Amino acid sequence: MSKSEPFDLEPTVAGDVSVVGGLALGEKLPTLEQVRGPGAPRRFPLAAVETVVGRGQQAHVTIESALLSRRHVLFRRHGPELSLVDLDSANGVFLNGVKAHAALLHEGDTIQVGDVVFVLHEAPA
Amino acid sequence: MSAPIFVRFWGTRGSIPTPGHKTRRYGGNTSCVEIHSAESELVCDGGTGLRELGLELLQRKQPPRSMHLFFSHMHWDHIQGFPFFVPAYAPENELTVYDPGSGRVEELLQGQMRSDYFPVNFNDLGAKIRTRHFDAQATRVDDFEVRCFEQAHPGRSFGYAFELGGKKIVYATDSELDRLLVNRDETERDPEKLRRLPSELVAFVAGADLLIADGQYTDAEYPKKVGWGHARASTVADLAHQGGVKQCALFHHDPLHSDELVDQKIAAARARLAAHGSSTLVFGAREGLELKF
Repeated sequence: MSKSEPFDLEPTVAGDVSVVGGLALGEKLPTLEQVRGPGAPRRFPLAAVETVVGRGQQAHVTIESALLSRRHVLFRRHGPELSLVDLDSANGVFLNGVKAHAALLHEGDTIQVGDVVFVLHEAPA
Repeated sequence: MSAPIFVRFWGTRGSIPTPGHKTRRYGGNTSCVEIHSAESELVCDGGTGLRELGLELLQRKQPPRSMHLFFSHMHWDHIQGFPFFVPAYAPENELTVYDPGSGRVEELLQGQMRSDYFPVNFNDLGAKIRTRHFDAQATRVDDFEVRCFEQAHPGRSFGYAFELGGKKIVYATDSELDRLLVNRDETERDPEKLRRLPSELVAFVAGADLLIADGQYTDAEYPKKVGWGHARASTVADLAHQGGVKQCALFHHDPLHSDELVDQKIAAARARLAAHGSSTLVFGAREGLELKF
């Protein structure tokens, strides 16, 4: 699977612990549901400890939008918590409509980067 | 372009810590807000959120660390994190505590660490802790200019305005704004009318990039809580609008409010601002959210 390929399967478990970074067997992955912007609708399970979203090839999730920086926003998992950090993007990261530099994320949060909108699902059914 | 200011919410709850699934999103720790730049580490209030901030500071910056702590007042929910603030235990650190009011801030911090309440005595804290008094006149704190103003709260409380490089952050929690209204009669007759606050208070918040303000109650709750020292969200929205505030974070969430109730409070404040044709963005302060200015 390429870095930019969407994850269309319902996320459950990845067998490679080096990829999933501490997930317990059977634990479900938090998922970004892209509801707007190029390529939407699609889903990106956040399997790795760190996932960078941007328009550049250095990003783990690449979305071809001129409104995204090459490395726009970082999603980081630490234990049960999920957070985001704006990687000094040109157009910012908006959490539920508020321009955020960093934040802890929760179920149903809306994250907008450029013309791309995600809805976070902490543990999809 | 000046160095950026970062504002992070470590505790947003009012009155008492409120952990649990109902408050997960906005958080259950009591008041603590960090304001920092490349040169400065400023902390507003030492509620239970201060504990987590202390742990983060240990990771983020090598000692010696210099920190400045501004208390709105000394009620429990604003000081309970202090005994658990790990940087206060390290001898290489310096902590300056600002006292705009009674002159008793250090005494009161010591009081909650008496052996009746806590096993470690204040005087056994390792860091160099000094108290600095200042009044409403602007005071230089590292690269920030700081002013304070008295608020309406039982036992007194103080708000602070922090300015750096043309940016302005105002921290104004625990203030019963409705007791200060200059058009109370008019707004009691017509609740939709803009509630006007005194010009001195409006001037303190004027043009702020961010106003962090106690908006504990809904309109329905406030009549039963008159005199308790807290604001209803709708009056905070009116103050922010009058001051031309760019963003207003409703803070000091009621311990009885679930995340969904806080959402409703914010929606009502936004609707009120829209009705007044305001460009102010109001949102709910939530733990872990960091803004950059």
